[in-house]
Amino acid sequence: MALRLGMYLGIIILGAIIGAKGRLSEKLTKRLGSIQTACLLLLLTIMGIKIGMDKEVISSFLTIGYKAVIISIFTIGMSILFVMILKPYVLGRKK
Amino acid sequence: MTLKILLSVIFGVLLGLFILPLEILNYTDLLIDIGLMLLLFFVGIEIGINRSVFSKIQAMGFKILLIPFGVISGSILGSMIAGLLLSMPFNEAGAVGAGLGWYTLSSILMSNYSNELSALGFLANVVREILAFIIIPTVAKKLGYFEAIAPAGATAMDTGLPVISKATDSETAIVAFITGAICTFSVPILVPLILNL
Repeated sequence: MALRLGMYLGIIILGAIIGAKGRLSEKLTKRLGSIQTACLLLLLTIMGIKIGMDKEVISSFLTIGYKAVIISIFTIGMSILFVMILKPYVLGRKK
Repeated sequence: MTLKILLSVIFGVLLGLFILPLEILNYTDLLIDIGLMLLLFFVGIEIGINRSVFSKIQAMGFKILLIPFGVISGSILGSMIAGLLLSMPFNEAGAVGAGLGWYTLSSILMSNYSNELSALGFLANVVREILAFIIIPTVAKKLGYFEAIAPAGATAMDTGLPVISKATDSETAIVAFITGAICTFSVPILVPLILNL
C-alpha cells in the first residue's frame, strides 16, 4: 500500500518537474487534454472488461445488486454533503 | 464527458462479458497500471505548469484534512442510513461504507466475518467506483470542485484522480490525492473497527 502510494506520488512529482521546467512544446501542452481523455477512456474500458469478466461480480449483481446500488448512492451522497458543509472552513470564510 | 465515461465502462463490461477470451485477464491489471501511471504523469505535468497552486494549497494548510474527514464520515454515515432502509445491522452497513471504494481490500477484510457481507462489500464498492467516475464531472460542474472529490473516496489517489483532475483544476487534484491517500490508509483500520461495534 505504502509502495503504491510512493509510486503514484513519484510519477506525479516527475510529471510536475517536467511541467514546471516548461520544456514541453506548446503543441504538446495543447494536446495534453485530448491525450488525457483518450487514455482515461481506454483505462475505464479496460476496468470495465475486468469487471465484465468477473463471473462472481456479474452473478452477485443479479442477487444483491440493488443493495449495493442503494448503499453506494447513500455513501456518495452523504460524503458529498459532508464535504459541502466543511468546504467553507477549508477555504477560509469569505468576508 | 459523463456520457463518454459511461459508454466506455459499459462498452468494457460488454466486451468482457460476451466477446473477449478469458486469457485477457492476465493482462488487464498490467494494462490498468500502465494507463494509470501515464495518466498520473499527465496530472503531474498539469500541476507543474500551474505552479501557483502550491501557494493556494499552503494557504489551506492542515484544514485540507477536513475534506478526507468529511468523505470518510459521510461515507460511513451514508451507508448506515442505507442499512436502515435495507434492515441491515448498522455495523455491517457501516463497514461496507468504510470500504471507501477500495473493493478488493474491503471484501478481504470482511471475509472472516461473513461471506455474504464480503460479497456485498465488494460489489457496493465496485458500484461506488463506477458511479463515482460517472457523476464526478457533473458534481464538479453543478456543486463544486472539492465536492467532486467525495464520490471517489480512496480511489481519489489512483483511478479516480485522472477523472477528478480532468473535471476540476490542479489545486483540486492535489487535494484529491491527499484525500485519496488518507482514505486508503483508513480503510484497513476502519472496516474491522466498525464491524466489531
